[in-house]
Amino acid sequence: MNGAELVLKVLQQQGVDTIFGYPGGAIMPIYDAIYQSPVKHYLCRHEQGGAFSAIGYARSSGKVGVCLATSGPGATNLITSLADAMLDSVPLVAITGQVSQAVMGTDAFQEIDVLGLSLSVTKHSFMVRSADELAATLNQAFAIARSGRPGPVLVDIPKDVQLAVAGKLDVAAEPQSRALNTSLAQSAQARQLIANAKKPMAYIGGGVHMAGAMPQLQDFLAQCQMPSVTTLKGMGSVAKDNPNYLGMLGMHGTQAANLAVQQCDLLICLGARFDDRVTGNLKKFAPNAKVIHVDIDPAEINKVRFAEVSFLGDMRQILPAIASTTDCSDWLAHCSSLKQQHGWRYDHPGERIYAPLMLKQLSERMPDNSVVCCDVGQHQMWVAQHMRFSHPRNHLSSGGLGTMGFGLPAAIGAKLARPQDTVIAVSGDGSFMMNVQELGTIKRFRLPVKIVIIDNQRLGMVKQWQQLFFNERYSETDLSDNPDFVALAAAFAIPGHSVTRKDEVESALEAMFTWPGPYLLHVRIDEKDNVWPLVPPGAANEDMIMETN
Amino acid sequence: MNHTLNITANNEASVVERLLQVTRYRGYQLAGLELTPMAEKAGLSITLTVSSDKPIHLLTSQLHKLYDVRDLQLASADIAALRA
Ligand SMILES: Cc1ncc(C[n+]2csc(CCOP(=O)(O)OP(=O)(O)O)c2C)c(N)n1
Ligand SMILES: [Mg+2]
Repeated sequence: MNGAELVLKVLQQQGVDTIFGYPGGAIMPIYDAIYQSPVKHYLCRHEQGGAFSAIGYARSSGKVGVCLATSGPGATNLITSLADAMLDSVPLVAITGQVSQAVMGTDAFQEIDVLGLSLSVTKHSFMVRSADELAATLNQAFAIARSGRPGPVLVDIPKDVQLAVAGKLDVAAEPQSRALNTSLAQSAQARQLIANAKKPMAYIGGGVHMAGAMPQLQDFLAQCQMPSVTTLKGMGSVAKDNPNYLGMLGMHGTQAANLAVQQCDLLICLGARFDDRVTGNLKKFAPNAKVIHVDIDPAEINKVRFAEVSFLGDMRQILPAIASTTDCSDWLAHCSSLKQQHGWRYDHPGERIYAPLMLKQLSERMPDNSVVCCDVGQHQMWVAQHMRFSHPRNHLSSGGLGTMGFGLPAAIGAKLARPQDTVIAVSGDGSFMMNVQELGTIKRFRLPVKIVIIDNQRLGMVKQWQQLFFNERYSETDLSDNPDFVALAAAFAIPGHSVTRKDEVESALEAMFTWPGPYLLHVRIDEKDNVWPLVPPGAANEDMIMETN
Repeated sequence: MNHTLNITANNEASVVERLLQVTRYRGYQLAGLELTPMAEKAGLSITLTVSSDKPIHLLTSQLHKLYDVRDLQLASADIAALRA
């Protein structure tokens, strides 16, 4: 067995049956091993796409995603996706080929210092110097990717190590781990704070479901009887029938969520990190609230907002330990009236399609447990506002990095992770073009992914900011010469349909879901439609601007 | 204000870069760096001095997360100053 074959054996030992990648010179031995391996390789059409597919696979399944690339340009093409996985805490192992050690450091053909590049976009990275270290290093990479706060790990393997004799594979050595002990020392204090609060609020991030603490969360909310809001990544964490859930908070959050959070006197932050898109002006965020912060990452505690009481460790143990009954029926009634008063409105003049309404229709029509993969821009915020999810694994959105081009390849990964579930990519006309080459991957594997393009012929989110904050100077945001998207899909043997009028939507959705294979629905909307509410930069979250035109 | 950190790290080729990358990115200036390899691959003993107006825990909590950092202590003078 050589090093390359050993790599595939270790992947199997790790339970990996699906990998994404693109070959090239420095990783050819591994591709040669793939030729006969039971591990199924999906050829992407750009390494960024392959890594996003691995991310979609990981996020929709909770498993570690794996992607491969060659040295030099292959590896540099991965960087954006590694950064995306870093900011959204996605367990990912990226394996890159490297030039042989004999020529390393000489600016050899397709040699780039990948380890150096990886420093700020990975949780950790390794260069494997000998075949003897391969198995232990790869196992360690998996352990790091999934442990604590998950994240991407890169393993750079020189070609000579891939070709070296690797001996036989031992039983996987126990990887070193730095288990974090869960300390419940402050739980009495937390229970006291909760019991005494008049206006408690749970602020729920992606960390809750990643900790496997969804059941404990429902119990906690039921026992404490407190209202809740979620971040973009926390959406789907609160049971759909919870009457005290107020929606997403932050820059494009619901009015009820933002107003209630500003008024609360105790904010219980669960697996979230006070991101600036959530807090608006940090100094004015939830100004009267004491904070209880629960997270797995010690560096998030007191990073941007001081917490009176904090817990590190396993959310499944912490939530039951801090639950306490409250007496805040006035507050609950107040929150519920905020929700009533500021509900979404779907009346919209004219015949043209109103994206929020179309997405609500899509949400109501899609089968239970469908996975929706978003791109980035106005359509992404509309998805977050107007679609409902039963689990955060069913809503894949590039949160921390906000990477256009995420949606289509992520949907490919999600479909492979969960073939029995419907997978829908909701993209914008700008974002779709950023990884459009992945239509080739869909074609090859006949992946029945449903693609909905919301086409406003603009880089809409940027255009909205130009309109509001740059005197309507629309610099470089016009896409009115977009390609014919249906014809583009047809070139990849994907059928599609274009709609422009409200009354066409229901039947178009029906046709899309009825069709057994991949399908592209092109939805043309008015470029004037904007995302509301919006908390302007620097403002407090209660100062949302509403529809202006 | 200057802070001194005593770090024990794995003796990996990239470990110093990692420390310096995090230090720079989190907004601390490098004011001193001393490296002493410990006996027989046992590790690297590092004294890192940084200056910043930011509280030092914002840096130490991030450095602590580096996989190759085994132990990290604020120098005792620093701890005394923080308590004062
Ligand atoms: C890779 C990348 N480049 C640039 C941006 C900045 N950006 C954010 S939203 C946006 C416009 C997206 O346009 P589209 O996909 O059509 O979505 P829309 O806002 O129109 O719904 C841009 C350019 C980004 N987020 N990602
Ligand atoms: Mg657009």
